[in-house]
Amino acid sequence: MAGLELLSDQGYRVDGRKPSELRKVQARMGVFAQADGSAYIEQGNTKALAVVYGPHEVRGSRSRTLHDRAVINCQYSMATFSTAERKRRPHGDRKSSEMSLHLKQTFEAAVLTQLYPRSQIDIYVKILQSDGGNYSACVNAATLAVIDAGIPMRDYVCACSAGFVEDTPLADLCHAEESGGGTSLALALLPRGGQIALLQMDARLHQDHLDTLIEAAMTACKGLSDVLDSVVRQHLQEVSVLTRDLGVCFSASPCISVRKPPALYLL
Amino acid sequence: MATVQVSEAEKVYIMHGVRDDLRVDGRGCEDYRHMEIETDVVSNTDGSAKVTLGHTAILVGIKAEIGKPRPMVADEGFLEFFVDCSANATPEFEGRGGDELGTELSNTLYKVFNNRNSIDLRTLCISPGEHCWVLYIDVLLLQCDGNLFDAISVAVKAALFNTRIPKVHISEDEEGGKEIELSDDPYDCMRLNVENVPCIVTLCKVGHRHVVDATLLEKACSEGGRGSLDPESIFEMTETGKRVGKALHAPLMEVLQKEESLGKKRQKVGFLG
Amino acid sequence: MLKSKTFVKKTRSGGVMKIVREHYLRDDIWCGSEFCVECKQESPVLQKDACIESNLCSSTHYLIPDTNLVLHQLDILEDPLIRNVIILQTVLQEVRHRSAPVYKRMKDIIHDAEKHFYVFTNEHHRETFIEREQAESANDRNDRAIRVAAKWYSEHLKRAPQAEELQIVLLTNDRGNKEKADESGLVVYKCEEYIKSLTANPELVDRLALTSDDQNEITSSKILFPEHLPLSRIQAGIKSSTLLQGIFRASRDNYLEATVFVHGEGDESTEVLIQGLQNLNRAVYQDVVAVELLPRNQWVAPSSVVLQDEGPKDEDKEEESENMLKCEVSEAMLKPTGKVVGIIKRNWRPFCGMLFKSQIKEATRHLFTPADRRIPRIRIETRQAAALEGQRIMVAIDGWPKHSRYPNGHFVRNLGSAGDKETETEVLLLEHDVPHQAFSQAVLSFLPKMPWAITEEDMKKREDLRHLCVCSVDPPGCTDIDDTLHCQDLDNGNLEVGVHIADVSHFIRPGNALDQEAASRGTTVYLCERRIDMVPELLSSNLCSLRSNVERFAFSCIWEINHNAEILSTRFTKSVINSKASLTYAEAQMRIDDAHMNDDITKSLRGLNKLAKILKKRRIEGGALTLSSPEVRFHIDSETHDPIDLQTKELKETNSMVEEFMLLANISVAQKIYDEFSECALLRKHPAPPPSNYDILNKAAKSKDIVIHTDSAKALADSLDEAKVDGFTYFNTLLRILATRCMMQAVYFCSGMDSDFHHYGLASPIYTHFTSPIRRYSDIIVHRLLAVAIGADTTYPDLMDKHKQSTLCNNLNYRHKMAQYAQRASVAFHTQLFFKSRGNLNEDGFILFVRKNAIIVLIPKFGLEGTVFFESKDKANPRLTFDEEGPTLTVENHAFHMFDKVKVTISLDASKIQHQKIRMALIEPVIPGVSVAPPEDGPEAKKAKLDR
Repeated sequence: MAGLELLSDQGYRVDGRKPSELRKVQARMGVFAQADGSAYIEQGNTKALAVVYGPHEVRGSRSRTLHDRAVINCQYSMATFSTAERKRRPHGDRKSSEMSLHLKQTFEAAVLTQLYPRSQIDIYVKILQSDGGNYSACVNAATLAVIDAGIPMRDYVCACSAGFVEDTPLADLCHAEESGGGTSLALALLPRGGQIALLQMDARLHQDHLDTLIEAAMTACKGLSDVLDSVVRQHLQEVSVLTRDLGVCFSASPCISVRKPPALYLL
Repeated sequence: MATVQVSEAEKVYIMHGVRDDLRVDGRGCEDYRHMEIETDVVSNTDGSAKVTLGHTAILVGIKAEIGKPRPMVADEGFLEFFVDCSANATPEFEGRGGDELGTELSNTLYKVFNNRNSIDLRTLCISPGEHCWVLYIDVLLLQCDGNLFDAISVAVKAALFNTRIPKVHISEDEEGGKEIELSDDPYDCMRLNVENVPCIVTLCKVGHRHVVDATLLEKACSEGGRGSLDPESIFEMTETGKRVGKALHAPLMEVLQKEESLGKKRQKVGFLG
Repeated sequence: MLKSKTFVKKTRSGGVMKIVREHYLRDDIWCGSEFCVECKQESPVLQKDACIESNLCSSTHYLIPDTNLVLHQLDILEDPLIRNVIILQTVLQEVRHRSAPVYKRMKDIIHDAEKHFYVFTNEHHRETFIEREQAESANDRNDRAIRVAAKWYSEHLKRAPQAEELQIVLLTNDRGNKEKADESGLVVYKCEEYIKSLTANPELVDRLALTSDDQNEITSSKILFPEHLPLSRIQAGIKSSTLLQGIFRASRDNYLEATVFVHGEGDESTEVLIQGLQNLNRAVYQDVVAVELLPRNQWVAPSSVVLQDEGPKDEDKEEESENMLKCEVSEAMLKPTGKVVGIIKRNWRPFCGMLFKSQIKEATRHLFTPADRRIPRIRIETRQAAALEGQRIMVAIDGWPKHSRYPNGHFVRNLGSAGDKETETEVLLLEHDVPHQAFSQAVLSFLPKMPWAITEEDMKKREDLRHLCVCSVDPPGCTDIDDTLHCQDLDNGNLEVGVHIADVSHFIRPGNALDQEAASRGTTVYLCERRIDMVPELLSSNLCSLRSNVERFAFSCIWEINHNAEILSTRFTKSVINSKASLTYAEAQMRIDDAHMNDDITKSLRGLNKLAKILKKRRIEGGALTLSSPEVRFHIDSETHDPIDLQTKELKETNSMVEEFMLLANISVAQKIYDEFSECALLRKHPAPPPSNYDILNKAAKSKDIVIHTDSAKALADSLDEAKVDGFTYFNTLLRILATRCMMQAVYFCSGMDSDFHHYGLASPIYTHFTSPIRRYSDIIVHRLLAVAIGADTTYPDLMDKHKQSTLCNNLNYRHKMAQYAQRASVAFHTQLFFKSRGNLNEDGFILFVRKNAIIVLIPKFGLEGTVFFESKDKANPRLTFDEEGPTLTVENHAFHMFDKVKVTISLDASKIQHQKIRMALIEPVIPGVSVAPPEDGPEAKKAKLDR
């Protein structure tokens, strides 16, 4: 049996997309009431849930406290049923620890941590269904959750993966493409400044290809940032309508936190 | 799981309310909070359900795998439970923080659900003594706002209702070697009868009465967790439990059937609504 | 629009896994027709005047074939007549899944702009995507998808202006599908129906593959072969190890015998012997088959009979031949024996051969005899039998039903008349899969523009070595000179030796069409009177060729060597050289030997020669093998191009002088690129043969009371040197010829994919090919690697990708092997031509092998090998006794041993134009009733002509 043909001669990918097209993105902010911020994102069949607690005082060992900025604490986990083959445990394996670390690095670069010295911000992400691009979905969900929590950031952090098939860069890989051999990289971008918060790639790639691949991933990230931006704007609109009309009776409800200063976080 | 503290006055207020069958949020003693159920929310599982009860949010995913029957019951398949108390629910669950609660919950679930009265485990048998279906029921706690048992049981039941197990048949060659073959038709699948799958009803004694689906606030007023009960209360609570359980089962099945009948036309909401 | 695709898959561990994939539907997939104005397409593929003269559909029409049609009637689709075809994605994907070779050919057709084949991505089109319905099989769903797409096309194009006449024609051979298509109002035909309607081109009918409907009438209903097992049973059997999977290799000498090569873990590969028609069970050479081992008491030994299928005959005769295979043999000779129970993958390709016309005059069914004896005869249907008689034709196999003695096939194309030099060359190129078409425009476009000259810019990047006294030594008539040498004294008393290789990688840049073509060809193929170039002639014979007295780019490897031939330093550089002389081996030898000549070139040659001798001695002491295989050279008549003389190549000292320095350069370069790129160096290795390979050599030596040690290359080389029999000078050469046949094939490999680098024959721990980039692609890659290593060029992605390089190596090894076979076949053909002109010749020869009913004789004078049969159909067979141990064959009262000297008469047996062959008959020793009287040598007139 022949393996999958990742890119047809007619220029269509396995799922019918063209090389530079993203999967369908759907997202919602404020999914949960108890957390300080939460968001849910679907990128194709990859689904991620992110919640943010904090900023609050540093839990556990005091020695982790930083005097000039907040500690970012991340945990990445996957639902045991999220992958095609059931996982034995949701987190704690090497891969998840690595992913947690990458998330932490990404958000340390984006969140204005110096505004909250001696405090801690928890970002927890959970993959509910996995179909490639887990890291990117987590970053995007976490960005929305951090915004939902009202924590100021330098810019949105948008992440997207890109891979290489037959000398053509493909954006936003699905699982079949990720596992079909070839190199893939994940890139987290601060789109307005065009700065890269994280770039990760763990396969061999010839140097000549790196530029085109990064270029493709950056373009994809910018596309994603537009989607995220519209999600945030729509969410704000909904919230402001609600607060204006039902301001009094809702203020007692934990559903919408009054702490959130709208439109402040895009510094 | 937000930690809740109640003042003495608040406690009295709640207890008095319960006595008069009027709870803080306006419910009667045997009323559940607003419950939302949606099935088939995770497409790569064989069955899934999402349930919210108040702010408690549960996601259950079921995956059917082929395994070996347990030696004592060679003609039965079995269920396996795993409860993931995720850090999403509360930072206290971070790392291994949720493991203890998770184990406690999954042990209870196993006792309640994995028996012949709950589900006909023989239907899960493929070939006695050799192959059977193992249903991995994975519960994901996304938000805790009290009454976990009830919410989880409803979610598990809904997910089992939603479960579609691919049809297989055993082909045998001359040498007696058995080979499991999957049906080529994706529509060809087995459903489970969930009519007898239990609903857990947790009762919480507040003052002299007991309430169904206690909020965290109510639970804080209860002595149930720490205190003791007299035999009469237990008897009363059992009766109430039976009554409420039946009352819960009927509409639940109705809702599930109704959702099912919408078929492919149903707009899936998941976490986006 | 989004659709989700869900399916359940079995995992490797036996579990089940639900897999969900997204499936996007689009509105921007265009129809590809010139008629359409709705679709925003840039260059439509399907033409407006798409008309083939047909009495079924008279107007313009586009064809849509279904999957089975593409799979089984590809020869029809490949015909230049068939144009304007819509290939649906559904069809293409199914084809890809079912047959890789058909898929590859299909893609070639699609890429051919002349064919106007358009791929319509119907599975992602919003209006043509369909979901599988309940209780619908995957095949039915695909058939429906094809009908829906066909329907969409006819409705879509109906809206286009001027397209009233246009018809969409669905072609299918599936009855159910045709009925359903009829119901939904589509124009649908069976393939035969449509092809037969093409009144203007009746010859197309011959190219139709036979479908199962027709086959029933052809043959008797008697079932000749056991049923093949279904694939599921085979898979289960292989899993439980009751069946073995392997590649079927028919015997060249015996049509009733084959071996199946079963790949095992590591060294555990085994060969299973298959004997008898029933057990061979319709497997064809190179098929992947499932075999079942027979119980031990039914195991047999490989027979030494030479048996050729002589065409249709009675069944009892067949049994007789089968009985011949059986003989009393010792237990030790028995080999695992089995029978073919199923076919896992057919590996059929079109075969060259000739038609064996049916004796019934009006018959349309004939037997076809492939040129390759390992392929069975094929039954084909044609009306042009008379015209095809005596022609070389190509035929493809369609199927082999269990009640048919021969497989069924169909005519593909005519190559020309047999015996014709051009036709035969074409046949042998095709049979050996040698790409030999003219270079395409795309390839030629990457050649440098003429007039070409070296620029200032070029000089800056290169070392100027024009002053060096460089010369080349090659065989006469060589135009693609890729190596030159120099040697000069240094002031410190040492010598500087340089090997300068044509810098082909300067002209062939990675990835372009020129490079891809060269990579695909892999090697230049030298036939007796024709050269099939790997790179276009402008490069091979001009710009890259290091001819004398022109400035050329070179890649130089320069050593400082002392007089003991010890290397003191090595450096590599890109350079510009100006060769002072292009010599032949003989000319160079003359210069060295002529004491009067003392010019720079001669001095340089003498220096080189002196060093080469030391190098060679040292190499042989280190265990390198000097083996022998007689190489033949033809003297070709300049007017008729027929061979007029035949002689074995004579090796001069200068041959080995050049060889020594090439080896030295190759080894130096191999080390350098491996040091620099341990993961992706392209190297060449020669594995040590397994001990069992030497059986024949040991047996042969033992018959002369000589012991050959084969535990190491060194031991082998030494014992070969010592193996001498008084009064039999040719004995040693014979032994070396046999030893050569025990060797393994040397192969290219990528250093990152293997751990064993050893070159057995050269006794070198590392080796590669660097010195012939004009004729070998491996050398181009090595040049590129070396250029990067010395900073003269930049790397590119594929060069550093060990998997891609490994794939490339596989192709190079395959091409290399095929080129060798083609070369041998060409020599054989020219030998035949030669004997045709010479008539009968009586020559001395030696027995090389002894078979059960024949001896194989080598004629040293011509390096020619032939078989003397002791059995024939027309006369009483002599009494034959064969002893496996000797091996000896006793004919009447004379025992033949290996290496016995015999005298034979050689003639060309032209009685069968199918397979002309050299026939040898025994003259001496005289055995009454077996040997023949020496006939007169060929006519005097011819002889005189040849003597000049």
